[in-house]
Amino acid sequence: MDESGSISTPDANRIALEIDRGLVSAEALLKASYWFSRDFVCEIRNRNDQIAEVVLRPRNSASVVDAASIQDSFITSAMDFALREKIDGKTSGVRDLLLAKAFSEAGVLEDEPQGIFGDAVEEAKPESMFKILGTPRF
Amino acid sequence: MARVFYPLERFAPATPTFHLLPFRFTRLNGKELLVNEAGEFLFVPRGTVQRLTDESLDTDSALYQDLKAKQFLYDNSSSPLLDILATKIRTKFDHMCGGTKLHIFVVTLRCEHSCEYCQVSRQTATRGEFDMSPETADRAIAMMMDSPAPAVTLEFQGGEPLLAFDVIQYIIPRAKKLARERKKDLDIVVCTNLACVTDDILLYFRDEGVKVSTSLDGPAFLHNKNRPRPGHNSYEKAIEGIERSRAILGMESVAALMTTTAASLDHAAAIVDEYVRREFHSIFLRPISPYGFAVKTRHRTGYEMDRFLDFYKQGLAHILKVNRDGYRIAEVYTQILLTKILTPHSTRYVDMQSPAGEAWSVLVYNYDGDVYASDESRMLAEMRDWTFRLGNVHKDTRRSLFTGDPALQLFQASCNQALAGCSDCAFQAYCAADPVYHYATQGDMYGHRPTSGFCARNMEVIKHLFSFIEENDRDTMRILWSWITGKPLTEEVVECA
Repeated sequence: MDESGSISTPDANRIALEIDRGLVSAEALLKASYWFSRDFVCEIRNRNDQIAEVVLRPRNSASVVDAASIQDSFITSAMDFALREKIDGKTSGVRDLLLAKAFSEAGVLEDEPQGIFGDAVEEAKPESMFKILGTPRF
Repeated sequence: MARVFYPLERFAPATPTFHLLPFRFTRLNGKELLVNEAGEFLFVPRGTVQRLTDESLDTDSALYQDLKAKQFLYDNSSSPLLDILATKIRTKFDHMCGGTKLHIFVVTLRCEHSCEYCQVSRQTATRGEFDMSPETADRAIAMMMDSPAPAVTLEFQGGEPLLAFDVIQYIIPRAKKLARERKKDLDIVVCTNLACVTDDILLYFRDEGVKVSTSLDGPAFLHNKNRPRPGHNSYEKAIEGIERSRAILGMESVAALMTTTAASLDHAAAIVDEYVRREFHSIFLRPISPYGFAVKTRHRTGYEMDRFLDFYKQGLAHILKVNRDGYRIAEVYTQILLTKILTPHSTRYVDMQSPAGEAWSVLVYNYDGDVYASDESRMLAEMRDWTFRLGNVHKDTRRSLFTGDPALQLFQASCNQALAGCSDCAFQAYCAADPVYHYATQGDMYGHRPTSGFCARNMEVIKHLFSFIEENDRDTMRILWSWITGKPLTEEVVECA
């Protein structure tokens, strides 16, 4: 079992997981639950400030066959979404810049982009990378 | 002499020397697959994403250099290349440029076939009230030419459009005249079952530069089962029509499409072999569409997506074998996806675009003047659901079509970058949003990805293709590249078979 979660009481018709909220955010748990929602009804509760409890109940009437495998899959999925959050946190700014630049030069923006588009350090250089040239007018 | 320690800062973690660029990832075949915003990808060892996020990746490693070269990260020496990444992203979205390119004219609902999977509520072959009128045709032609696209495709559909050949003859010269005036290139295609084609019709098509797209579902037993008509001779009619069309129009002007019904699922190899026997060089393994009349008959023609995926994989394996044996035939869906995965470009295939191709890349002008966002939208209307009717050629302009409520609702659900389940997906750059499909199958334009047949199909097909890429078998990749580039198989591939 991954360090981020542990298994609570075994039950033939439910799988319960305890997740360290410091390692996996509520959003990451919700995203993992989304992908499990085809086969399971997913409930997420905050047990306390540190621990979230996830309960998976199979949608069909059959009992859980391979609980350990399902628990591993859920925790792996939740941890992957936590990683994606970290990547997004480090790259969302540059993604906005890249997309703004790509579409600004393509001439498909009808309105001037809102906010400041550019890297202050880069724009100070003579050969600035991120220089939004303004919306082309035709 | 007193000895002193270095200052505390000396022992602090080193300042990161690289910065991440946006990417998505998934786990595949024991590795991590990273895909950046431009669709460039890299298979990396497990744990790499963790090392990237906690900035512990060895900057002297070959892996670091690969990640930098593919623009998953940058450092001081590579930062000027970010402009290039923006250009690559723009190239990946070049299908958005130019406006609507494909314009489908439903010139009649009449048809002499009674296919169970047909998405259209066909009318009997003699009911002329289901033909497009000259006034409607004039308005539709004008609306087509209002598209800013410098090159447009006019596609005749039905019913069986050849039953309204007089309407086709009315439209073609007028469309050509207006295209010349607007300085647009115009391609013309007729989608026909060829059952009622004549030499006179084909000679007209030859003179006007019209291409033919027909249906061939497989060998006779399967084609005739799928496509009943009086005389039970749909296959014989199709084959005869294909041969006559090729003789008059040329081999390159005749294409065929197949639809996979439940009856097809056990015959993947036989279907491919039929296409080879008929000297086609492409085949599109298409699932049945969950629209229109097909919904009424789904208990006979429908199936679960898992079964289609088995069929697709069997069919693709057989197609690759046929190529290894020296006959070049491409699987079209594979070709489309690999173009997205392995080249900087997107494709013009409207069913696999984000923003969705519906309305943006294709418009359908029904016989009665109603304008739909796609052929599938029109099929929904045949089931008395007009959600995706954008307007009517007699009442609307191109601007009002695109700013009306139906179009705006559609556009809101058209970007997979902003859809639950898609926004984090590693395959986002290769995949699409399909609001019409999800509305038809799930009652919701946004859709629920875990239970979506669209998602299941594309997720599995893309994973399957990435398995080929990761395996990197020389012969297989040479065949796949020949499909992407349109070049013939090299002799070397034939020798290796």
